[in-house]
Amino acid sequence: MSDGSGAGNGRLIQVDDITRVFHVGGEEVRALRGVTFGISRGEWVAIIGQSGSGKSTMMNVLGCLDTPTSGRYMLNGKDVSRMSDDELAVIRNVEIGFIFQTFQLLPKETALANVELPLVYRGMAAKERKERAKAALDKVQLTHRMHHRPNELSGGQRQRVAIARALVSEPSMLLADEPTGNLDSATGEEIVRLFEQLHKAGHTLVLVTHEPKLAARCPRAIRLSDGSIVADGSGREVAMAVAGPMVAGV
Amino acid sequence: MKSVTSLRVDVLEGARIALFSLRANRLRTVLTTLGIGIGVATLLAIVGIIQGLNTSFHKQLASFGANTLYVSKFPWMIKGDWWKYRNRKNFTLDQLPRLRAMAPFITALSPSVSRMSDVSYGGEQMSSVRIQGVNHEYLSIAGFDITGGRFITEADEEVTRPVAVLGADVAERLFPGISPVGRTIRVDNRSFQVVGTLSRKGKVVNESMDLLVLIPFKTFYSNFGKGRPFEIAMAVADASQVRMAEDQLIGILRRLRATEPGQPDDFNINKPEAMAQTYAQLTGALYGVAVGVGLITLLVGGIGIMNIMLVSVRERTREIGVRRALGARKRTIVVQFLMEAASVSAVGGLLGTTVGLGTAKVVSLITPLAADVQTTTVLGGVFFAALVGLLFGIWPAARAANLDPVEALRYE
Repeated sequence: MSDGSGAGNGRLIQVDDITRVFHVGGEEVRALRGVTFGISRGEWVAIIGQSGSGKSTMMNVLGCLDTPTSGRYMLNGKDVSRMSDDELAVIRNVEIGFIFQTFQLLPKETALANVELPLVYRGMAAKERKERAKAALDKVQLTHRMHHRPNELSGGQRQRVAIARALVSEPSMLLADEPTGNLDSATGEEIVRLFEQLHKAGHTLVLVTHEPKLAARCPRAIRLSDGSIVADGSGREVAMAVAGPMVAGV
Repeated sequence: MKSVTSLRVDVLEGARIALFSLRANRLRTVLTTLGIGIGVATLLAIVGIIQGLNTSFHKQLASFGANTLYVSKFPWMIKGDWWKYRNRKNFTLDQLPRLRAMAPFITALSPSVSRMSDVSYGGEQMSSVRIQGVNHEYLSIAGFDITGGRFITEADEEVTRPVAVLGADVAERLFPGISPVGRTIRVDNRSFQVVGTLSRKGKVVNESMDLLVLIPFKTFYSNFGKGRPFEIAMAVADASQVRMAEDQLIGILRRLRATEPGQPDDFNINKPEAMAQTYAQLTGALYGVAVGVGLITLLVGGIGIMNIMLVSVRERTREIGVRRALGARKRTIVVQFLMEAASVSAVGGLLGTTVGLGTAKVVSLITPLAADVQTTTVLGGVFFAALVGLLFGIWPAARAANLDPVEALRYE
């Protein structure tokens, strides 16, 4: 277990005793029951868990799409756990680059326009926006497809467009939700390699997944079960503890 | 870097997305647009036709002369008991010099009496022509010009000459291509020598002002009977004196006719302006109903917009989630959908304006109604349509903005 406590130690992400309670049909569902951990700049961390473990809720909180019921979430030195809706929109735009399982590209816009989108909400002029978007597409080797719409791209290409979109705003962290879940294994591998490159380039990556195999590739993994952390260590160890060496692919 | 999206950026991006989405759903856009378009077209066509009516009516009224008054025992527009007016004393010719002496502000004065007659020249015959007996001053009161020959003179009146001045319609029908001056026409089998022709005045409320023959007043009395009550047409120096003249005339006429104190006036001072008021009362109600119908059509169009916007929000739930995740604020989403609603409506407004104006034009071509649409009406139509769109877009836009981003991203 890594040291969970200790805010103000210069970490990019610090969550302290976070809970999230939903009310569904009069019943109280405790999706997170006091979660505490920190992530430093440049780390690549997998958050792993079965469905219902609270990992999706954790990802929504980390992505500032949702706010915790109690506890504190410090992101890049800012307490984002009690921010207003509009303030959170700004945080999402500046600090977070999302990568979704289903890519979530706008189907009627070109790859380039999709990548530009976060910069539009930053109020950037069209010319600069385009240049930056092209540069981001270059990082994922897709400049030759930038005028194509998502339905003209393969699954792997779509996910690379989504990664370019996450990179374009130079966020503090990339937050990926099952990024290989909709891809065949070869294409998935391609994307994981891209993550490895990004990690080497110094990006902070948080990857939410239920696949031990994927978690095993990450230097660090945090395992959630029933809304609590049950393991926090190297990706290999955590993955093996979940699935055994065969399934974890290590 | 701080994210600062200004409203300008929101509006520009909203407009871009709106046009994008309208293009992507062409058929739907056209159908929605039709709803608003029909509303605006209805409204504009109606307003155009009514405005045209008003303009032509006022133009025609102005040809009567804004500085003229017509005194008679009958009002122009009789409300109620005709016999009450019929039984009033007639004016007499000997009262006219006295009236002129008592009312120095009158610059021209003429008795006026008329009947409908058949008029013929050679083989040509016209029926229902107004034969009007007037004096030499009538020309300046009525606002005609002489286009050929001369007008009635004092001498014509003194010796009861059988001379006639023809209105433009009569001159053109009886004497196509030739000058009528010097020729003899027959009015109810009596001969009159044409001495002049009048300029064209046009129509007032669809009735020609040029279907008339003017003859000396005394000639009229000696040919068509002395008993007929006449009207006194008079002019004052300019329109600003009409009100003053009217006030003073009441007292003067009461003295002239020896009306008992306490008795109501037994005469009427008629003005073209009074006709305008009656006209305004008549058309005002019509106007209200017509505009009401147009507004209801627009309302229906607006509900159509709201319906289609709600569908659009549902269809694009995931898109909204993505935009929110990438940093779009609620306001940005609201603006985006409002722009879309307003664009559809504005396009509808433009379409409606074109159709509405076209309709008004066609109506003015195939009917005597003269359509007249002012620029303000056109701008108003487009603006109003966009406003309807905005108004009916508010609820769908608010729904879009208030979606939970997490739920929206998960929406299938």
